[in-house]
Parts: sequence; C-alpha cells; structure tokens
Amino acid sequence: MTTTTPATTPTTTPKEKTGEKTALADSWRVVVLNDPVNLMSYVVLVFRKLFGFDETTARRHMLEVHERGRSVVWRGVREQAEAYAYALHEWHLTAILERNETD
Amino acid sequence: MKRIEVKLSLSAVAPLLDIIKTAAGSLAWSLAVALPDFARDGEWRDVWARPLLESQNTGLAQLLGLFDSDFFKTGVIAFDEENATSLLRACAAVRLQVRAQFLTALPDAVMETGAVDPVTLDDGTRKALMCHLFLATMQEVIIRHLGNSILEG
Repeated sequence: MTTTTPATTPTTTPKEKTGEKTALADSWRVVVLNDPVNLMSYVVLVFRKLFGFDETTARRHMLEVHERGRSVVWRGVREQAEAYAYALHEWHLTAILERNETD
Repeated sequence: MKRIEVKLSLSAVAPLLDIIKTAAGSLAWSLAVALPDFARDGEWRDVWARPLLESQNTGLAQLLGLFDSDFFKTGVIAFDEENATSLLRACAAVRLQVRAQFLTALPDAVMETGAVDPVTLDDGTRKALMCHLFLATMQEVIIRHLGNSILEG
C-alpha cells in the first residue's frame, strides 16, 4: 500500500507522505459475522457468488466464520467495501466494515 | 431452462405455512438482518434500507407464491433459474425471522448443530423448528440443483 520503498528512498517528500496516509485511510475490511441460522452450503454459495472465490477458498472463509465467529472476506477502498457489505446484506448475511489498521 | 419440481406432502407442509406467513408478515417492514452501525441513520438508512426491504419483499412474495391454490391441488412446488436466487434468499430471511420470533428458547449451539429432540419441545416450538428445517431443505435442493445457475447468473 505504500507509494515508496524506505530502503531505497531515505528521504520522504511531503507529497509521498500524503499519498501513503491516504492509502492507509482508504483501506477497509469487510468482515462477515457468524449467525446460528444460515446453512454452511448457503454461505459458501454466497461467498463464491459475491467474491468469485473458488469452492476451497469459500469453504475456508465459511469455516472461519463458523468456528471463530468472523472472517475477513475482502480488503480495499471504503466505497467498494460498502458495496460488498450491502450485497452480503441482500443475502441476509451479517457483515461489518472495519478500518484496516495493519496494511 | 432448468426446472426442478418437488412434490410435497400437503398434510406435512400445510401446518407450517402459517408460521411462514406470520414470519414473512413480520418482515414486511423490517429487515431480517439489522443494518450495520454506519448505515442505520439518516441518508444511509434511506440508501440501504429501502432497496434492501424491496428486495426482501420481492423474494418473500415469490416464496409465498409457491404455496398458492395450485399447490393445494397438486402438492408441487417448482424452482427454476429465474426464481432460484430470490427463493434462496427468501428462505434465509424467513428462517432468520422464525428463529428470532419463535425459536428463542433454543440456544445458538442447538440451532447450529440441530441437536434437539423435537419430542421434548412444546407444540409451538416444534412446529416452528419443523418450518425452519423445511425451509433449510428447500435451500439445499435449490443449491444442489440450481447452484451453478445462481453462480453463473
């Protein structure tokens, strides 16, 4: 997410700093939360449909939701994260957005 | 177009329809899943809640439409590539509402594992649980036979 590589760029211009800050501020996670109702096969299908996951990846995220209560299914800019959260809601899955502090 | 017809036992399913209709009625003005915090107020609520509710109600109407007068003559319901997505979602919405409205006595762990003996439940809870399981079976049939169509659609 950074615009410069510190090892090769010992000094950072104000412009570069701004770019880095903006990129971090725009990084969000879409997190799907567990519910005791929706079928595992249904959740796998929704993940495949909305995120284009293959069966194995969709199943891994579904099991993470089931076993840990949550799974990060997408990371990126806020606007797209909102669109994914809306789509998940349309399929009656519980999704929240979290600012990505680690990227 | 791929079409799946399922023949149901009228005597088994008819008693569950009251629960489905009641749950669907409760969802006429409220979403099956609460909006995320950021979308609960002001402009956000209008942008999210209204179209989500419209989409939810469209699905619920299709689900209830399966159990029309023809169903009571034939016992047959049909899924196809056009209604599969709406029905799948509507089943999810009604199952969530049935759980919230009629199955509060059952802990989440029981709901997830299905490890409950229906004989130990009171009549109302047992009927709601049967409805919950019936809708899950509908979802499984749709996913098994029309899942690929939904993914490609």
